[in-house]
Amino acid sequence: MVDLTQYLPILIFLVIALGLSGLFVFLPMGVSRLTGAHKPSKDKLAEYECGFPAFEDSRHQFDVRFYLVAILFIIFDLEAAFLFPWAVSLDLTGWAGWITMMVFLGELLIGFAYAWKKGALEWE
Amino acid sequence: MELKQSLGLIAPEILLSIASLVLLLVSAWAGDKASRAISVVACFVLGACFFIVAPTVCAGVAGPDVVAFNGLFTADAFSGFAKLLIFAATGAALVMAPKFFERTNSMMPEFPVLILLAALGMCLMVSATDLMTLYIGLELNSLASYVLAAFLRNDERSAEAGIKYFVLGALASGILLFGMSLTYGFTGSTDFGTVRAALTGDMSTGAMFAVVFVLAGLAFKISAVPFHMWTPDVYEGSPTPVTAFFATAPKVAAVSLLMRVSLDAFGMQADAWRQIVLFVALASIVVGALGAIGQSNIKRLMAFSSINNVGFILIGLVTGTVQGASAMLVYLAIYIAMTAGSFLAIIMMKDEAGAPVEKISDIAGLSRTKPALALCLAMMMFSLAGIPPLFGFWGKFVVFQAAVEANLVALAAIGIAASVIGAFYYLKIVKVMYFDEPADVVKGQSDWAHWALLIISTAFISPLGYLLTTWLGGIADKAAATLFLVAA
Repeated sequence: MVDLTQYLPILIFLVIALGLSGLFVFLPMGVSRLTGAHKPSKDKLAEYECGFPAFEDSRHQFDVRFYLVAILFIIFDLEAAFLFPWAVSLDLTGWAGWITMMVFLGELLIGFAYAWKKGALEWE
Repeated sequence: MELKQSLGLIAPEILLSIASLVLLLVSAWAGDKASRAISVVACFVLGACFFIVAPTVCAGVAGPDVVAFNGLFTADAFSGFAKLLIFAATGAALVMAPKFFERTNSMMPEFPVLILLAALGMCLMVSATDLMTLYIGLELNSLASYVLAAFLRNDERSAEAGIKYFVLGALASGILLFGMSLTYGFTGSTDFGTVRAALTGDMSTGAMFAVVFVLAGLAFKISAVPFHMWTPDVYEGSPTPVTAFFATAPKVAAVSLLMRVSLDAFGMQADAWRQIVLFVALASIVVGALGAIGQSNIKRLMAFSSINNVGFILIGLVTGTVQGASAMLVYLAIYIAMTAGSFLAIIMMKDEAGAPVEKISDIAGLSRTKPALALCLAMMMFSLAGIPPLFGFWGKFVVFQAAVEANLVALAAIGIAASVIGAFYYLKIVKVMYFDEPADVVKGQSDWAHWALLIISTAFISPLGYLLTTWLGGIADKAAATLFLVAA
């Protein structure tokens, strides 16, 4: 028989989380109606989709710069994800682990410097 | 100190990575005008790596002393031999490139940097004794190669070659990864030694699939039939120096990698993979020979020629003996000299405006307008066809000899018969150059560096090459023996 009492923390968490997130959605709607700031327009009602029209044929050209920014983002995002397991296991890997990670960060920095110098970060 | 020793063993790789990172920064700040200087520095770096690795090959080092990072990496004589070939072929690509790209003002300093990164990836591939190192090396080499294939950004064919290579290469990497994950699942390790120990006796169906998927992924990388379909398109579309690079260095790396994976990691299941490699070898020889016959573009023809040659190299692997492995290494050494030489001759064929000539009909009567160039190319073609006084014959001879001594007489007989079909299209090029009416298209002058390299490679494949057979065979034997020593 499963002891359901041990799941109490997650139940409390779900109740509070749902309550809070519901509040975040409905509170601004209620406040705007009550204060008279409720003026929907076409732009306000449109879905947010990274600057593109949301409902359109997806096979059209877009600026290559979006792609470049996305690639750079992925590299540094993955780097950050990689730092967490490294940080918690540093007591096991010791100085060798620390130096290795610094070398890795240095290599990423060189790539970043290259991209910066080549103008990959400039939008115009 | 374990770590210090490991770092000492990867000295050439460390040198390559530091050099490529420094040169990357230099290329960003100095701009396009530094291309030539960066190429020269890259050549010197490769030369330095060559001299770091060369003593280990001559000494035939092996055993636990050359295993770095707890078995992730092995710097034995076998990997050293492959690395020397890789450095030589990579250096040749660096020498070929500047003149070719400068005509259209498309030489960029990133070219030598990418070539160095690809060489670094290949060094990791040939030294890998763990599936993780293997994959990192393979991807480092592949990612650099995809960019190199599309290096002429404004040329539609080059862009097409890049995208095609990328899509199919990513698919092959996926297949390889799937095989690797199955291997890990059925053996519980990524280390070659442990995989070998776990795969003794009867093999489960799952492990069988693991072997098949890994071999399929690697067959793509060496462009063996039936995973060869990308080769003609990519070789034709890529800029010629890049094609020369693809046909030489990565072939050496991928074949060496395949040898280590089959003989070491899957060494106890030789009967299982031998059938697959046997089929792939024969299919490559036949498809390579037949596919080349109808080609009108010389780069496409060379692509089929490389498929054909990979088939001959794989015959050495089918034997599964030290002698077969040694024969493969000798064949690889001769093969890169012949292929690099042929592509050099192709780069040196330029029309009046300096634009590259690639159509076979345009080189008609080359012997009357450019006798020296025609002679070099004709010798390369005779050598590739395996006609006796030239060195290409020796490579085929040692491979077939190994096959006969491993009681694979039928295989050797089919291989020899198929090499006769292959001789047809090589001889056709010679016939077009020597006996057809001059087309008078090839007029451009060539750089002294191109001539020097062409003369060196022609001398190597000429009958003079036979002076090297004892020496080359000796170090290849030692290198091949280390592969089996690690496995034992």
